[in-house]
Amino acid sequence: MQRLNIRKGRILVLVAMLLMITGSVFGVRAAGGTLRIGAVAPKVLDPALGSNDPEVLFNRSIYDYLVDVLPDRTIAPNLAKEWKVSDDGLTYTFTLQEGVKFHDGSDFSSADVVFTFQRLVTVKSPATNLLGEFEVTAPDAKTVVFTLKAPNADFLYGIGNQLSLIIKDGTEKPNEIATGDKPYANFNGTGPFILTEYKDGESATLTKNPTYWKSGQPLLDSVEFKFINDPVTQVNALKSGDVDFIFKISPDQVSGLDGADGISLIQTTTNQHPVIRLRTDEGPGKDVKVRQAFKYATDREELNQLVLEGRGTIGNNDPIGPGYAAFFDKDIKVQEYDPEKAKALLAEAGYADGLKVTLQTINVLGYDTLATVLQQQWAKAGITAEIQVNEEGFYYDDSNPNNWLKADLGITGWGDRPAPQGYLAQAYATGAAYNETHWSDPDLDKLIQEASITTDESARAAIYHKISDIFNESGPIIIPWFAPVFSASRANVTGINVAPFPGLTDLRGVSVS
Amino acid sequence: MGITKQPMASITSEITTQPQPSRLKRLLTSGFNILKQLASRPLSLIGLIIVVLFILMAVFGSSLAPYKFDALIKGAARQSPSASYLFGTDKLGRDVFSRVLWGAREVITIPGIATTIAVAIGAIIGMATAYFGGWIDEVVSRLLDSLLAIPALLLALVMLGVIGPSPIGIVIVIVLLYVPIVTRVIRSATLNIRNSGFIEAAKLRGEANWYILFREILPSVLPALTVEAALRFSYAIFLTASLGFLGLGVQPPSPDWGRMVNEARESFERTPWALWYPAAAIAVLVIGVNLLADGLRRIFRYEGS
Repeated sequence: MQRLNIRKGRILVLVAMLLMITGSVFGVRAAGGTLRIGAVAPKVLDPALGSNDPEVLFNRSIYDYLVDVLPDRTIAPNLAKEWKVSDDGLTYTFTLQEGVKFHDGSDFSSADVVFTFQRLVTVKSPATNLLGEFEVTAPDAKTVVFTLKAPNADFLYGIGNQLSLIIKDGTEKPNEIATGDKPYANFNGTGPFILTEYKDGESATLTKNPTYWKSGQPLLDSVEFKFINDPVTQVNALKSGDVDFIFKISPDQVSGLDGADGISLIQTTTNQHPVIRLRTDEGPGKDVKVRQAFKYATDREELNQLVLEGRGTIGNNDPIGPGYAAFFDKDIKVQEYDPEKAKALLAEAGYADGLKVTLQTINVLGYDTLATVLQQQWAKAGITAEIQVNEEGFYYDDSNPNNWLKADLGITGWGDRPAPQGYLAQAYATGAAYNETHWSDPDLDKLIQEASITTDESARAAIYHKISDIFNESGPIIIPWFAPVFSASRANVTGINVAPFPGLTDLRGVSVS
Repeated sequence: MGITKQPMASITSEITTQPQPSRLKRLLTSGFNILKQLASRPLSLIGLIIVVLFILMAVFGSSLAPYKFDALIKGAARQSPSASYLFGTDKLGRDVFSRVLWGAREVITIPGIATTIAVAIGAIIGMATAYFGGWIDEVVSRLLDSLLAIPALLLALVMLGVIGPSPIGIVIVIVLLYVPIVTRVIRSATLNIRNSGFIEAAKLRGEANWYILFREILPSVLPALTVEAALRFSYAIFLTASLGFLGLGVQPPSPDWGRMVNEARESFERTPWALWYPAAAIAVLVIGVNLLADGLRRIFRYEGS
């Protein structure tokens, strides 16, 4: 009897414990809930300068943009409720939302916008690359006027750039933790969440802005950032339920999450791509026939299958990917794989006995694997490639005599840009700062220039299609694929729409049940 | 402990009393004796067998391998071990068994060459500094001590960063790392016998310095040198594998085992065999060399570093 009683007692305790556990899980939770994000710790918190994904995601939850660049690359009103562009494309007039307040209670006005954009210039924010040269004035409290030096079809992408977050007029040190009783006074945005705790390298807690100007938003009660630098640990934290959302998962980790219990894998199409490029002013790539030979010698289907397990979108010979909707030329002739034709082209170029090259690449994003497969494919066309894998920082370093701007043959990683102009003007126009192929084609230069000032979408698309043709016929680059970005959330997270640049993901419509 | 302090007394007196012509024959007999003694201890025997097997693998592995190390077998990515692919295939469809066989040559050659050079240089400097003594000894020893103070892997990373990753670069790095260590061991072994009677006798006979160094001292420190060489070799294998793992060793598609482990690491969950076999190969080889070194040490009753 004694024994039985003990057993009964144990069962009772067990039941009680079970009740407690289930109670805490299924117990009362506010409608919006808390989203716990596992992300790499931010290093640069200044909203105008912190350009990597976790930094932008953190900042954009505290601050607002004047206009929002949506995941499909369209532009939507935000703090600016409407805008007008003058006929000559040189004047942009924005009308601001009414009744918007900063976290410290002060009113949002045109002076804050002027201050923000002037500050972007003074701190040399990368956002100015897309903005170009401009002057900004505020004729009244609700109107802001930008005057451009030259027409810029991508100006609104600059206004909605991930770093163009609106800060309070006169803020000297945005996002610097202050001493005293208001440590987060410098995190003064108009955004959906208010910073309540920041532990450097550890975590950050943001709570709902109860007086947010957009009614009914945000849905969440709070957002918690848990800073986890190791990608494998991030995945494990999601699996064990320590976090609800992670982004930028490496391709090798993706398969472990695909179909995992209680986890939704999110795939976002982006224009991020590797550029396999030849220099056009020295080395074998001087000869257009050699460039064509490399294109025919590359089996993109196999590359995508082996390196990305078929998850990428096969690329062609130009950086304008299918993510750019109308700008992408759907009718373009897909590059065929034909090692025999490559051999013939090489023979014509004077390399009948084969061609020996050194292929420079980096040690991340699976590009060393990409190089390994390329070596085998090219061997079939008589190209003997020796692979040189570089540490990423070293390959992009100016002091390296064989860096990405100097190597005869190499693989470079290009991240997503909101518009094709981000690649064309920076890397393929004559004399551009990042013209790694040293390519110079007057026809191409003219078209790039034309595209930058053409605001009519279909006219611009026609120009981009012509540009794609030039790349196909004589371009020095091969795009094996456009890579998707992978994110994953717990199944109870709803409304998450990951942007091609994951840091730009809007958390206002997200909720956790 | 008395025995260990005077390690080579019996052998060295033997050497000095033996006449020159029978040197080769005597060396062969002592070599045979060492093998016999190794074979009599089970652990040493295992070490010996492992090392011999791996050397055979380095010599014949590539001709025995069913595939070339860089061949991508179409439609055979991520195959688990089976009759057609003994160790399975990696994420690109390369036969892991073939790659491990091909890799033996790389894994043994680079550390082998590097160890030989390091031991030769270290032995010469060690014997010379101890024999001549004085300020040369002071300067060289302090210089090498300062090199010893730097962590091996850190030094390797910096140097390979400067001279660029290549097999020759790795050899240079290993030589620079191990010369001070070998020097120190051989120097102390030489110090032990520097004032022995047979050296004094040679000096009195009016022998040249080089004769005393290579004909009198070298045979006496040979046991210490052999053990040190075996130990350095096993460390060199490990260091080469580590550098390969860090991507600073040989370049792809090399079947270097360290590099194979690195390449298989990211997709470990799905193709664990691509990691197991090269990792096991490194482990078994290093254990084998260590067992052998241990056996040699016991035979010579030598207790070095």
